[in-house]
Amino acid sequence: MQTSSEEKLPRKLEKPGRASRIRALRKSLVPWFFISPFLILFLVFNAFPLGFSIFLSFQEWNPVAGLNSMKFVGFKNYLSAVDDPWLWKSIYNTVWLAFAANIPQHLIAIPIAYLLVASLKGTVRHLYTATMFVPFITSTVAVSLIFFTIYSANTGILNQWLLALSTMPFIGGLFSWVPDVMPIRWLGKSDLLKPAIAFVVVWKYTGFNIVIYSAGFLTISKDLYDAAKVDGCNAWQQFWYVALPMIRPFIFFAVTLSIIGSLQLFEEPYVLTSGNSGGVGQAGLTASYYLYLVGWEWLEMGQAAAISWILFLFIAVVTSVHFYFNGRKGLEGNQ
Amino acid sequence: MSSVTLKNLSKSFGTVKVLHDLNLDIEEGEFVALVGPSGCGKSTLLRIIAGLDNATSGDIWMNDKWVNDFSPRERNIAMVFQSYALYPHMTVEENIGFNLRISGLSKADIKSRVSEATDILDLGQLLDRKPSQLSGGQRQRVAMGRALVRNPDAFLFDEPLSNLDAKLRVQMREEIKRLHQKVRTTSIYVTHDQIEAMTLADRIIIMHAGRIQQMGTPTELYKNPANVFVAGFIGSPSMNFLHGQIQTNQGKAQVLLPSGATIDFIDRGNLPADGRVVVGIRPEHLEFATAENRDNVFEGKVDLIEPTGAQNHLKISVNDQTLTLVDTSLRELNIDDTIRIHIPVEKVHVFPHSE
Ligand SMILES: Nc1ncnc2c1ncn2[C@@H]1O[C@H](COP(=O)(O)OP(=O)(O)OP(=O)(O)O)[C@@H](O)[C@H]1O
Ligand SMILES: [Mg+2]
Repeated sequence: MQTSSEEKLPRKLEKPGRASRIRALRKSLVPWFFISPFLILFLVFNAFPLGFSIFLSFQEWNPVAGLNSMKFVGFKNYLSAVDDPWLWKSIYNTVWLAFAANIPQHLIAIPIAYLLVASLKGTVRHLYTATMFVPFITSTVAVSLIFFTIYSANTGILNQWLLALSTMPFIGGLFSWVPDVMPIRWLGKSDLLKPAIAFVVVWKYTGFNIVIYSAGFLTISKDLYDAAKVDGCNAWQQFWYVALPMIRPFIFFAVTLSIIGSLQLFEEPYVLTSGNSGGVGQAGLTASYYLYLVGWEWLEMGQAAAISWILFLFIAVVTSVHFYFNGRKGLEGNQ
Repeated sequence: MSSVTLKNLSKSFGTVKVLHDLNLDIEEGEFVALVGPSGCGKSTLLRIIAGLDNATSGDIWMNDKWVNDFSPRERNIAMVFQSYALYPHMTVEENIGFNLRISGLSKADIKSRVSEATDILDLGQLLDRKPSQLSGGQRQRVAMGRALVRNPDAFLFDEPLSNLDAKLRVQMREEIKRLHQKVRTTSIYVTHDQIEAMTLADRIIIMHAGRIQQMGTPTELYKNPANVFVAGFIGSPSMNFLHGQIQTNQGKAQVLLPSGATIDFIDRGNLPADGRVVVGIRPEHLEFATAENRDNVFEGKVDLIEPTGAQNHLKISVNDQTLTLVDTSLRELNIDDTIRIHIPVEKVHVFPHSE
C-alpha cells in the first residue's frame, strides 16, 4: 500500500498538465491586467514626456512651426542656459522667496496649532482650523488678484490703512513716515515686490501647515504632558522639551512640502507682476515663471527643456540636502 | 519630605462619582500602600494628590499647606505612572535625568545621579536606548528611575512593578524598601500584589468603589478586617464566607447555617439587629479535627487538592458548601475521602450581612 502510493506521487509531480500551466500563466498575468490602467496613463503622460523632454533639450524647436522645424543642436541649449543671467536671477529669486515665505509660515503655524490643540476641544477647534484652511483651498489666481488690488498704489486698501494709521491718536507717531512716501508702489518697486509676493504665499499656506501641525500635536498622548508636569515643566517647557520634539516628523513633512512648493512658485508672482517678464527688474521672476516665459512666450522649447533639467538637478540637490540633515532622525528608534 | 492630608475629598467625572468623601492622614516619612480592585479609583486619587487633576470637592494639605491650587511642580512630587509615560524622543538617560535638567542641575551632577539610579535599577547597559527599543519591564524600570533620581517631598507609585518577572520584582521591592529606610520620603504605593503591600508598607489602605474600606497595619487588617470586603481582599487564599443567622444557645453565641448546622463564635459586639450575618473563616485557620475537639467540628468530603509545595490547598465540601483549607502538614489524602474539620472558636469572624 505504502510503496504504491510512493510510486504514484512523484510521477504526478513530474508532469504538470497543460491546464495547470495555463492556470499558472493566467495567475501571473492577472495582476498586470489590474494595474494596466495606471501603467498606461503613466507611460503616456509621465514616462513619455520625461523622455521627450530629454530629447527636446538637445533640439531647437518652435512648437508653433510644427514637428518638422526640430533641429539637433547638441549641448548648445545647456551652454546658453548656464550663461543666461535671467536664469540665475530667477533661481536667486526662488531661493529668496523660499526662505522669506516658508520660515514665517512654520513659525506662525506651529504655535497656533499647539494653542488650538491645547486649549480648544472638538467642534470649536475644527471650526477654527477650517477657517484657517480656507485660503489654501481658494484658487491661487483669485487670491493673487485680490492681493493685486490690495497692493494697488493709489487705491489699494493697504496704503489706505497705512494712511489711516498715521492719523490715529497714540500709535500715529509710529506711522508718521507714511504720508511722505505715499503712494507706496508695492508691486512697482524691485525691493518691495518680493516681500509682497512672500506675504501672499505666507497668507495662503499657513493654514495648511496649521492643519498638519494640529494633527501632529494630537498624536501626543496626554500622559506625556502629565509626566512633564510632574517633572517640573512649566507650560513653555512642556512645549519646548516635549511637544516640539515629538512633532519633528510632522515638521519634516511640512517643510518638505513647502520646499517643493516654493521651488515651483508660479501663479502668485505671475499674477502680481501681470505676467510681465517677472516684474520690475525681474524681481518677481521665479524659476517656473522663467521656464514658462522661455517655452511659451518666446517659443524656445528646446531651451526650456534644458532649463527644466537644470532646475530638476537644483531641486534634487536642495531636497537631498534637506533629507540628509533633517530626515534621518526618526521619532523613536534609531536613525 | 512632607505629610499628606485629605479632607472630604470627592471626584466626579461628569455625573459619575469615582471618589467618595475620602479622609486620609499620611504622616511625614510614612510608606502607605493603596490596594483595591481594578477601577476603584486608585490612579485617580494619585493624580489628584500629584496635582494633575482637580478634586471636585474637598481639600488637600501637604505639610500643613493647603495645596489644592498648587501645580505639580510646586507640590514637588515624583510619580511613577501606571502607563510609564516615558518620553519617546529621549534616551533612557535623558528620560531619567529630565527632571534634574529642568531643575537646572549641572551636567556632571545629572550624570552622576542618573548613573546612581540606573545602577540600582540595573539599567546601565541601556542608557542610550530609546523607550521603543526596550521591553515592557525595562520601560517600567526607566519609569521608576525617573522618580528615584529625584529628591521629592513625596513619592507616588502607581503599580510600579506590575510588569516585572517574579525575581526582579522581589529584588526591586527590596531596593524600594532599602531606599525608603534610607531617605524616609513619604510614599504612596498602589499595587495589586498583597505581598508587596504587606512587605513594603507601614500602613495599608484598602479601597473599594471609591471609598476607603479600612486602613491599618498589615497585621491589623489581617486580624481585624472591618467588613466582608476587606476580609475577602486580604489573605490568600481568600477567606471562606458562609451566610447565616445568629442565635444564642445555652448562653453561647452561635450562627445557624441554612443547612441546620451551627458555628460557635465569640461575641465581640457590633452585631446587626436582624441577626443576618456572614461568617468568615480563613483557610489557614481551618484544621483537621482531633479527638479533643467538641464544638465546631464538621464532617466533609475532599473535592480538590491543590499542592503548592509547602502547603496543600484543599477544597472540602461540607453540607453543600465548599470551604478552602490550608494544610501545612501535607497529609496524604485522596479525592472523596471523608474528613473531620475543626473551626477554632476564637478564629471565627462575624460580619453584618450587607445589602
Ligand atoms: N478621565 C476619566 N473620565 C471618566 N471616567 C474616568 C476617567 N478616569 C478614570 N475614570 C473612571 O474612574 C474610575 C477609577 O479609575 P482609576 O483609573 O482611578 O482606577 P484604578 O483603581 O487605578 O484601577 P486599575 O487598578 O485598573 O489601575 C474607573 O471606573 C474609571 O472608569
Ligand atoms: Mg490605576
